[in-house]
Amino acid sequence: MSREAGEIEQKYGIPTVAAAGSNVVSFGIGANFIYNTGMPIRYVGVPFPFSGQPRSVLKTYIEGKDTVSGKPMMQAVLDGFTRPLTDAEKMSGSPPESAPEPRLLPADTEDNLQRLFKDKCWTDYNPVIIPTEERVAAMLRGTSHKPDEIVKSAAGTFGTRRPFTVEKVAVLAVMAGAKPEYFPVILALASMVPYQDSTTSIAQMIVVNGPIRKEIDMNAGLGALGPNNDANSVIGRSVTLIHKVIQGYDEGVTGFASLSNPLRYDNLCIAENEEALPERWQPLHVQMGHKPTDSMVTMFTGWNFINSTGWVEQHYAPQLLMRDYMSSLSGMSATLLMDPSVAELLSNVQGFTTKPLLAEWLSQNVEKTAASYWGNAIVSSMLGPLGAQGLEPYASWKKLPGDTRIKPFNNPKSIHVVVVGGKTASVWFATDFMPEKSVSIDAWR
Amino acid sequence: MDRRNMLALLGLGPALVADTPSFARTAPKTTPESAAPLTSGLVTSLNPAVTPKLATRIPLAPRLDTLDGKTIYLVDTDWGGMGQNDGILQEMQAWFAEHAPRVKTVIKVKKGNFVTDDPALWKEIADAKGDGVVLGVAG
Repeated sequence: MSREAGEIEQKYGIPTVAAAGSNVVSFGIGANFIYNTGMPIRYVGVPFPFSGQPRSVLKTYIEGKDTVSGKPMMQAVLDGFTRPLTDAEKMSGSPPESAPEPRLLPADTEDNLQRLFKDKCWTDYNPVIIPTEERVAAMLRGTSHKPDEIVKSAAGTFGTRRPFTVEKVAVLAVMAGAKPEYFPVILALASMVPYQDSTTSIAQMIVVNGPIRKEIDMNAGLGALGPNNDANSVIGRSVTLIHKVIQGYDEGVTGFASLSNPLRYDNLCIAENEEALPERWQPLHVQMGHKPTDSMVTMFTGWNFINSTGWVEQHYAPQLLMRDYMSSLSGMSATLLMDPSVAELLSNVQGFTTKPLLAEWLSQNVEKTAASYWGNAIVSSMLGPLGAQGLEPYASWKKLPGDTRIKPFNNPKSIHVVVVGGKTASVWFATDFMPEKSVSIDAWR
Repeated sequence: MDRRNMLALLGLGPALVADTPSFARTAPKTTPESAAPLTSGLVTSLNPAVTPKLATRIPLAPRLDTLDGKTIYLVDTDWGGMGQNDGILQEMQAWFAEHAPRVKTVIKVKKGNFVTDDPALWKEIADAKGDGVVLGVAG
């Protein structure tokens, strides 16, 4: 919102007042202004929630107080247009750079450093390994890249410039408890910042493919999704620390996830059980065009994570229950995480001899009502405008009576399959995670 | 219910589970050098913090002397995506009509979703000699 207001002000010289909920206001006049737009947009704060409220309530908002200034709302709007600019609002050019962070912290006891790291929001509030020079040097031996190499500059939310080096990633890898052999995976993941954030409960999922899985003893088998393996746990935790420290995610300052998501502790870090795939089922990274011998890491973004609960029953084929459960997902994307035993049943008994065949069937058979589809605010806010512009099928779906059943996964390529698990139960998860980026781990060795 | 009874109920025995093969379910063989124990006393740590770069400052546009006789565009960012989120702007428009009738207000809906820009609309407002814009509502 600040960028749009800024464009109107800067390009056309038209004074603008932005009206928003407290989260957007806090970000707009805080971190986004300081590090991103450079323009101190004038905001008025609207009480939350406004979406879903009757007009009678919205009228009280207009007749009530601006949550930023505490003045009557419309007086604050008028002031936004007519109050003379302050010197700060007239400021232009590059501000003096803040002093660079020192490479070393003052020497202190471990207890005090643990406390400092928590106070600075550099942890997930579990204890970390203190990144001494010796430990960081050891971590850096896990890659051929130079410690002072810049991994990325536009690392903050909305591309805020937060340049960081290979050494900085090594510091966080040490803090998370990583071994040097994990470091190329962690560097590949660090190169993907900024990760997606939202006021909703968005989360990430990490899937590793290729030879690196075995080289670093990742778990793609029994208990792979649980806290049962060093590499899975620690690499996942590294991403949490990268998100907070490198990207600069600070709840209430640069991020405003109302509930957030417990998956953010570990980012669902798994390896695909490529060895247990049915004969013609390709690993995820091969489906994406990479060689089986390439080591790749794919970052997914999503919200929902629904378990089959029980195993596959004789009287109800697995794809039928997947269809049923997927009808509660948004329809924008899905990733099925399934035990190898489920993949075998689907391939050998149900005739889905490839992953895309299963995706095609689900695309044709998952249904939900148009009202439910558009009732999801992520769908409506992202795809509703496309429908308004005439893009099909969204334009037609917007016109349907609410109880009309539609096939929300209209694009089978939006349905992905990852095989993982230890073959002790024919269970699976239906998720709405969508792959955002795949990065070569080999490039970071 | 204890674990053994639960497993029995599910038709599993603990031994079956224990014997299930899994690849790579291994404990660290040695303490990695990157997590070697600290010596006692003071510790020197590397600093995890990144130095963010400050944005180049851009001044706001000059403000208006008065709103009397001016045209204010109330632009709906279409936060919900369904063209149904302009209630607050309509209430603002009603307020202007009642309390400041010499201010002309025009409601417009931004194209695209809430994270996309609509430069054509900004140009349209400028070409129409719009004097001010209220952009809302997001959250």
